[in-house]
Amino acid sequence: MSPLYAVLDAIKNADGPVSLSRLGRELDIEPDALQGMIDFWVRKGRLRMQGALPGSATGCGPAGCVSCPVDGPESCPVLLHMPRRYEVVGEQ
Amino acid sequence: MTRRCCDIETPPPITLDETHVRVGFHVALAGNPNCGKTTIFNALTGARQHVGNWPGKTIERKEGQIELHGYDFTLVDLPGTYSLSAFSAEEIVAMDYLLDARPDVVVIAVDAGNLERNLYLATQIIETKLPAVLALNMMDAAEARGLSIDTARLSAALGVPVVPMVARSGRGLEALKAQMFDAALNREEPCTCGCTPEKLVDYGREVEREIAALQDIARTHPVLRHRYDTRWLAIKLLESDPNILARVSALDGTEALLDAAQAGIRRIEAALGDDSDILITDRRYGFINGLVREVVKRPPLDRHTRSDRIDQVLTHPLLGLPVFAVMMWLVFQMTANVSSYYVDWIDGVIAGPLTRWTAALLGSVGLGGTWVESLVLDGVFGGVGGVLVFIPVLAFTYFFIALLEDSGYMARAAFLMDRFMHWLGLHGKSFIPMLLGFGCSVPGVYATRTLENERDRLLTGLLVPFMSCGARLPVYIVIGVALFGARAGTLVFAMYILGIVVAILVGLLLKHTLFRSDEEAPFVIELPPYRVPSLKSVLLHTWERTKGFVEHATSVILIASIIVWLLVSIPVTAAGEASFAQVDAENSALAAVSRWIAPAFEPAGFGNWQSASSLVTGFIAKEMIVSTLNITYTGEAEVEEDVATTFWQDLGEIGLTFVQATWDTIRATLSLLPGVDLFANEPVDPVEEAGGNATLVATLQSAFTPLSAVAFTVFVLLTAPCVTTMAALRHEFGTKWMAFSVGFMLTIAWLGAVLVYQGGRLLGLG
Repeated sequence: MSPLYAVLDAIKNADGPVSLSRLGRELDIEPDALQGMIDFWVRKGRLRMQGALPGSATGCGPAGCVSCPVDGPESCPVLLHMPRRYEVVGEQ
Repeated sequence: MTRRCCDIETPPPITLDETHVRVGFHVALAGNPNCGKTTIFNALTGARQHVGNWPGKTIERKEGQIELHGYDFTLVDLPGTYSLSAFSAEEIVAMDYLLDARPDVVVIAVDAGNLERNLYLATQIIETKLPAVLALNMMDAAEARGLSIDTARLSAALGVPVVPMVARSGRGLEALKAQMFDAALNREEPCTCGCTPEKLVDYGREVEREIAALQDIARTHPVLRHRYDTRWLAIKLLESDPNILARVSALDGTEALLDAAQAGIRRIEAALGDDSDILITDRRYGFINGLVREVVKRPPLDRHTRSDRIDQVLTHPLLGLPVFAVMMWLVFQMTANVSSYYVDWIDGVIAGPLTRWTAALLGSVGLGGTWVESLVLDGVFGGVGGVLVFIPVLAFTYFFIALLEDSGYMARAAFLMDRFMHWLGLHGKSFIPMLLGFGCSVPGVYATRTLENERDRLLTGLLVPFMSCGARLPVYIVIGVALFGARAGTLVFAMYILGIVVAILVGLLLKHTLFRSDEEAPFVIELPPYRVPSLKSVLLHTWERTKGFVEHATSVILIASIIVWLLVSIPVTAAGEASFAQVDAENSALAAVSRWIAPAFEPAGFGNWQSASSLVTGFIAKEMIVSTLNITYTGEAEVEEDVATTFWQDLGEIGLTFVQATWDTIRATLSLLPGVDLFANEPVDPVEEAGGNATLVATLQSAFTPLSAVAFTVFVLLTAPCVTTMAALRHEFGTKWMAFSVGFMLTIAWLGAVLVYQGGRLLGLG
C-alpha cells in the first residue's frame, strides 16, 4: 500500500492510541515525512488535530475562573500543555 | 540566454568564452523550514543582502547578490514551505514568484537527514521544469547519524544536479555555485511541442490519461503553452489548486481546459473512489518513499532515536504507570520538603512585621482595638495571609511540573494516561479535560467540548472535579505537616492518586450504567523529543502560574475571607455579653450554622464546628478551607511575640530570615539525594518545619487524630466543587446535571471519609 493511505489505515486500525514515532517506525516513514502526511490528511478533513488549546474548546467559559484576570486559555496560568493528537474523523 | 529542448532555431547555450557581456541572472532559493536555507543564502551572498517584505505581505523577503565568472546573480530567498500549493501565504508567495518571475535557476535546499519530507517540495518544483539544483544540505548531521546517500542515483532519478554540502562550514559551496552557473547558462524553456522529458512521477493509468488529455488542450493555448510546463499545469488543475485555477480562469480561451479538468477529476474519482488531489499526492509520496529507500542507506538502529529508546521504558504499558507514579511522588515529596522553609519565612513576615506595622498604622489613626482593626488583622491577614503562606508550595509544585513539561515527560504522561483510560474502556480523549483539572476544574469542564459524543462529554465533565485542583493543595499541606510532619509529601501524593483512582472507578461505574457509548475514534499522538529543560521557560511558567494563584488569593479569597470574618464577628450565642467583632468564634454566627451541620461528619471523625465551617466556606473556593481553619481555630491572625523593634530592624530581620530560608532550602534540596542529610545534627521540630501558622498547627494536632485528618483530606478531595466549577457545570450541562454532580460528589466524599475513618478504626489505626 502507498504510504499516504497506509498512514490513515494504520491510525484507523490501531488498537488504542499510537505515538507518531512508533507509527513512523512501523510504516518505515521518516518522522518528518509522516508529519507531512498527517498534515495533509488534516487539511483534507480525514484527520482532526487537537492540541493543548483547541480554540475555544478549552477556553474559559463565561464565568471564567472566578476572578481569573487572564483573557483566555492562551494566557491561562493553570493549563498544562498537552501534546497534539490526531484522530480519524467520522469513525466515532 | 535560453533555449528550447527541440527548437532547432534556438541558438546553442551561451558559454563564457562566446560572450563577455555582463548579464544578470535570477536564482530562487526554495526549501522547507529549518533545512538550512538561510545558512545557504548567507554563505552564498555574504553581506550583500537586502531585507524587505513581499509585496502586500508581512512575510520577509531577502535578496542578495553574488558574482560568478563575471556574471551577476541575484538570489531571492523564498519563504520556507513544505509544498508548492496554495494552502498558506508562504506557499502562495513561493509559487507566485516561481511562476511569475520564472527564475533562471531554482536552488532547492534539502535537509539530507530529512530527505523524505523535503523531497515533497523538491519534486513539485522539479515538475515545473524550471532549471533546478538540489542542495543536499546538512550532510554532516546525516553522516553523523550513519546515513549514506547515493547522490548520483538521486540526481539521475530526479533529473537535476545534486550537490552534497554543509552550508555552515562552507563544504560543497563552490560546487553549488558551479552547478548554479551551469544551470543558468544552459537554461531550457518549457517544452511546447509534446516531447516533454520523461515524467518524474508516474501518477497511474487513470490520472496519466487525464494529464495527457489536458496537456493536449493546454498546448493549443498561446499563453499557457509558453508560461507553464503543460504537464505540471495539468497536474495542478487535477489537484484543483485554487491559485492555478484562478490564474487559468483569468485568461481568455481557457474554458475548454477548465471544463476538461473538471470532467477529468470526475472520471478519476469515479474510477478510483477518492479525491483526485489525494490520489495525486499519494502517488507523489509513493515515488518519494521508494526513492528514499533506494538512495538512502541507514544503520539498523537509526529509526530508534534516543527519545525512542527512553520511551520504550517511560511509555511502556506496564512499566510506564509505576514510573509515572514514582515521578509524581518525587515531585510532591520535593515540593513539601523543600518549600517549607520559605513557607515559614512568609508566615513570619505576615505574622510578625507586617501585622505589627499594620496594627501600629491603624493605632496611629485612632482605629486600634476597633472592628476595623479586627477586619484587617483577623479577616484579611488571617484569611488571605493564611493562603498566601502557601505561595512557595505552589511555586515549587509549578516549577517541578514545568520542568517535566519542558523536558517532554508530561506529553508521555498524557499518552500513558490516555492509553490507560482507553484500556479501561473510558474515552481516551477525556485525559485532556482531566489533566487540566489538576490545575483548575473550570477549564477542565469547558475542555469537555473537545468530545463530540454528548454522553462522553457529560461523563468526563462529571469526573473532572475529582482531579485534585491546585486550590486543594494548601489543605493537604497544612493538615499533612501538622499531623504527619516530614511525611506530608506522601499524604499529598496519596490524595492526587486517590482522586485519579476514584475518577476512574466512578467513570467505569457511570460508563456501564448511565452513560453507555460507542467506541472512540482511533487516533495518533505526537510525542515531542526529550530535551534539557530551558530554565527561562520553566521559570516563566512557574511565575505565570504562581501569579495566577496570588491574584486569585488577593481577589476572591479576600472577599470570601471578609464574609467569613463577618460571620465570625456576628455574635449569636451569649449575644448580650458580646458585641460585633468582639465575640469569640465559637459564639459566632458561623459557629451556629456549622454546629448544625457538624454532626453529619461525626462518623468521619471530624464532627466539630470548625471543620464543618471550613467545609462550608470551601464551597466558595477551596483555598477558603485553610483560611477558615485559620480564623476559627486560632480565633485571630497569629501575631508573633510582641517585641519592641524598629522599622529598620524589622526590615533587617526579614532579609536575614530570607537568607536563612534560602540556605535551608538548598540544604533540604541536597538532602534529597540518597545518603545525604545535611540536617543530621539538628533537632527536627515538626511545627517549625511546617513553617505555617504555629498556633494553627498546634490546634490541628489536638483537634484531629492522624486518621481523622486523613478522612478530612479525603472529604476535601472528593467533595462538591467550588461555586465557579458548579457554574461551569451548569453552563455546560444544565442545572439538573450540576445538581447531580454536587449531590453525587458529596455522597462519595462522605462515604469515602467515613470509610477511611471507620475502616482505620477497625484496623486499629485510630
